[in-house]
Amino acid sequence: MAHSDNAATIHITDEEIDHICDEFGNREGAVVQILQTIQDKYGYVPAEVLERVGEDLGIPHSKMFGVLTFYSQFYREPRGKFILKVCVGTACHVRGAGLLVDKIKENLHIEEGENTEDMMFTLEPVSCLGSCALAPMAMVNGNTYGKLSGDKMVDLLKQFREEASGAEEAEAAPAS
Amino acid sequence: MVKLTVNGKEVEVPGGTTILHAAAAAGFSIPTFCYNPRMDPAGSCRICAVELEDTKRTVMGCITQVSEGMKVLTESSKVHEARKTNLELLLLHHPLDCPVCDCGGECPLQNMSFSYGGSDSRFESHRNDEPEDMKSEVLVFNSNRCILCGKCVRICDEIQDVHAIGFINRGFDTVIGPPLGKKLDCEFCGDCMEVCPTGAITDRFVRYQFRPWQMERTETTCTSCSSGCRMVVDTENEAIVRISSKEGLGPNEGSICVVGRFGYSAVQSKSRLEIPHVKKAQRLVPTSWEEILPEISSRLSKIASTGPGRVAGLISSQLPLEDAFVFQRFMRQTLQSNFLDSEARQGLMNMAIPLVSATGSLRPLVDHEDILKADLIVVLGADPAVESNITGLAIKKAVRKNKAALYLVHGRDVSLSTRAREVIRLAPGYEAVFLRTLREILSSSAEDLSTEVKSRLERWGANPEAVLRLAKDMKSAKKTIFVTGRRFHRSNTGFEASSELIRLLAERNLLASDGSGLFVLPESGNDLGVLMMGGSSEWLPGLLDTKNSEQRSVWENHWNCKLPAGGGGLREIISGIESGEIRALISLGVDPLVFLPDTAHLKKILSKLELIVVADMFQGPLADMAHYLLPSASPFERSGHVVSAEGFVQPLAAAMAPWGNALTEGELVLRLATHMNQPLPFDNLAAVSSEIFRIFPDLRPSTRNAPYFQGKTGEILLATPRQQPPHKAERESVLSRVPAFLKQESLPLDEPKMGDPSKRGEDTFVLTLSKSINHAGTQTILDSNLMTIEGEGLLRVPRQWARKKKLKKGACVSVSTPHGRISLPIDPVAGMADGEVHFPFHFADARFMALFPGSFSFNAHSGAQSGQTIDVTVAPIV
Repeated sequence: MAHSDNAATIHITDEEIDHICDEFGNREGAVVQILQTIQDKYGYVPAEVLERVGEDLGIPHSKMFGVLTFYSQFYREPRGKFILKVCVGTACHVRGAGLLVDKIKENLHIEEGENTEDMMFTLEPVSCLGSCALAPMAMVNGNTYGKLSGDKMVDLLKQFREEASGAEEAEAAPAS
Repeated sequence: MVKLTVNGKEVEVPGGTTILHAAAAAGFSIPTFCYNPRMDPAGSCRICAVELEDTKRTVMGCITQVSEGMKVLTESSKVHEARKTNLELLLLHHPLDCPVCDCGGECPLQNMSFSYGGSDSRFESHRNDEPEDMKSEVLVFNSNRCILCGKCVRICDEIQDVHAIGFINRGFDTVIGPPLGKKLDCEFCGDCMEVCPTGAITDRFVRYQFRPWQMERTETTCTSCSSGCRMVVDTENEAIVRISSKEGLGPNEGSICVVGRFGYSAVQSKSRLEIPHVKKAQRLVPTSWEEILPEISSRLSKIASTGPGRVAGLISSQLPLEDAFVFQRFMRQTLQSNFLDSEARQGLMNMAIPLVSATGSLRPLVDHEDILKADLIVVLGADPAVESNITGLAIKKAVRKNKAALYLVHGRDVSLSTRAREVIRLAPGYEAVFLRTLREILSSSAEDLSTEVKSRLERWGANPEAVLRLAKDMKSAKKTIFVTGRRFHRSNTGFEASSELIRLLAERNLLASDGSGLFVLPESGNDLGVLMMGGSSEWLPGLLDTKNSEQRSVWENHWNCKLPAGGGGLREIISGIESGEIRALISLGVDPLVFLPDTAHLKKILSKLELIVVADMFQGPLADMAHYLLPSASPFERSGHVVSAEGFVQPLAAAMAPWGNALTEGELVLRLATHMNQPLPFDNLAAVSSEIFRIFPDLRPSTRNAPYFQGKTGEILLATPRQQPPHKAERESVLSRVPAFLKQESLPLDEPKMGDPSKRGEDTFVLTLSKSINHAGTQTILDSNLMTIEGEGLLRVPRQWARKKKLKKGACVSVSTPHGRISLPIDPVAGMADGEVHFPFHFADARFMALFPGSFSFNAHSGAQSGQTIDVTVAPIV
């Protein structure tokens, strides 16, 4: 994975984990929901949290790792700010989804499933998002973008980048 | 009861029985991979398919329960077809690399393919070709050969309770291994390897070095601890290749620990003594038995002729009954000396003396079966999984299966702590006062503790709430078992604490009621046996009192001689040597220079001796001082019998010829006696066995689950024959003595003066010596296999302290006392009480022992070694 060290590997304190587990009553049966909550909050499930979650719920470390690796919904590595879910289902495929994916790879220098070095984007081809009328389409952080072309995609990527730097400035502003 | 037919044969079994067991009852065996009688059935491998005649359906025999009128076919064509298909699927990705697989020849998958498999496959096969997981130095995981039956994961979860490995990923990508792709970090019992029905988990120490059918198999008993595990030693050309067990064998039911399984390399290493040595001009030079036996015996005769009690003897607690029996007779009859002691004096004696005085017996009236049925288990100063692994497994199982309430009284967490209802922290040395307080609490009818008792308990580091809960549980429990171990026995107040404990049990009628009692964990393979054979100054064989002339006369009449009355144990031996009264010392594998502090002073005392004869497997500090150093046989090179903690008397069988010119200690003693013209009436050690069994019928060999395993791979005899240790029938006679013991006055107890824990600085600790799970005794540090697993002594410090000091595992700290200073690497451990550190005693060398004060002390009542804990200051090295 194109994954650089300066990428934000998140540090989560034991207290934060305890708090999440508490919300679910420290129930063994809630392990999947707890991992989902952690992933929602931090973007992925860092390896270090597993042991603590296990301790809180009374589940051995080896079992925790088994759960984490069993479900494909869980990510064990940090992911980009924007998850580019490009549909490569049948309808999108015939309308040129392959070209769309190629364009992203070329533009961002990443392969399927990888993050850009600045941790801005993650490319994740998916099978079908059920919006075949919009083919070829992609979903980025829950927003749908239809009738795409390679150029449109490049524009979108640029737009996302600006959005991100805008948000960062906005974040930085009140502090100064 | 449910009636059904299996292959046309009618059989009646209790409801809830599985088809597998019902078929076994009818005399039919069904093949299994993933089934193991010790674990909950999983039904994952599908090889136990059977046909139900009425519905024409195939179901899994190991998980399907019988129903009335069921007609089961175990070998129909449909069943064969199903098994063949199953094997076809199991072999779909299997690499079929049997010619280079360690498991080839003893592989259930191979055997099953031979019995049921087809010669070709209907599928295009994709052979797995993943690299092996070679991260661990001990076990190699080969995911290609794995059929994902999950037996290894389940045995780690259900039997060992270690949870080191699990399933990773899903579907075709599933592999078995430790979490996060890390190196395997576990207790290294190797049970996963043992139950694996393929070569997916192999032993890295002997990979590619053997073919199973070329080895000779010898069933013997492990003497590394007191569990009495039955194990199988595989040898080729008189060398041990590997050690395993067999499913269901012995009290251990086929599980053995890391020391038993991998600790065989020291006994066949270059460090073993091969030939006798004699000291000439301050140097030990090689010689022969023919030359030195007459020499030693004439010198012994000369010294013994100057009067009784001139020679002292020390005997290792690992030696079999036979060797202990002839040695004590040689000492008492031939050399007329009762200066005799065993390794039990390091701690166990604190428990043994009050126990014998109260019950007349050393063997417990409860065994592992009772532990499994108990509803309350109180572990006092012991780490059962480490000190006696199988007892630890029994306790874990009792908690898991029987929901037994487990209480742990210890200064730190041990592997059982996570299962405990309460862990009561208690600083070392406070055991006796704690138990007296517990007696007080139990005898009072008050609901709550008084403020005085509360503050007392708090002062000792014990949580009053937890103690109150223990007292409540004790009052309501029907079957209560107390387990004591190393830390309890070796405490400065070990004798007083043991007396208090026996009183407590007797008062609450726990010694008398069935299923309740005291389970003592001795430290060595035959501690109990050596004491029962008279291996200490207190007792003649059969635990007859040496000081009591009436009891002494039993043996005097039998042996037709006068026996010495005086004498004493280690304490008296050392003072006897110092005063010049004792002039010779015979040590059979005991080295006081290793376990007593202040070696320089002790060396000076020992140098007064005219004659030191040492028989041992390895060189050591005492061996260096010896005038005669004699090579002795290892437990793998001898036969004999040893008594386990449960009280089973199990045989050792020689798996290989004696190393070099090594002799067993018993044989050596017989020869010495003959050379002294006072031969003992035994031609060999087998004659000694018969004599022992004739005099003590209850010491005749006994074991559990002897005929459990039938020998054919994949076929397991399901009806489990169980046996109790024979001495359990003695309950009546044991109890007759107790009232007299209770009438004796309680010992006066003082609160230990170890300083107020609350006033300690954060860098001041109490240091105790503990046993590591990966070693047994001090000679396993010569074992290259075990040293690969744990190669250096790490000072176990509380994790919270290490975090505060920003110290990681392996960081060096300076440990100092007023007497010495040493730097040690640390291992931060979770769950340790503040103010306590411990160090594995196996690695406690002379440099380490210099931390202890310049003298050694003994318990006033039992003469057992005391002062085994000290206050130390630990500081990071910057």
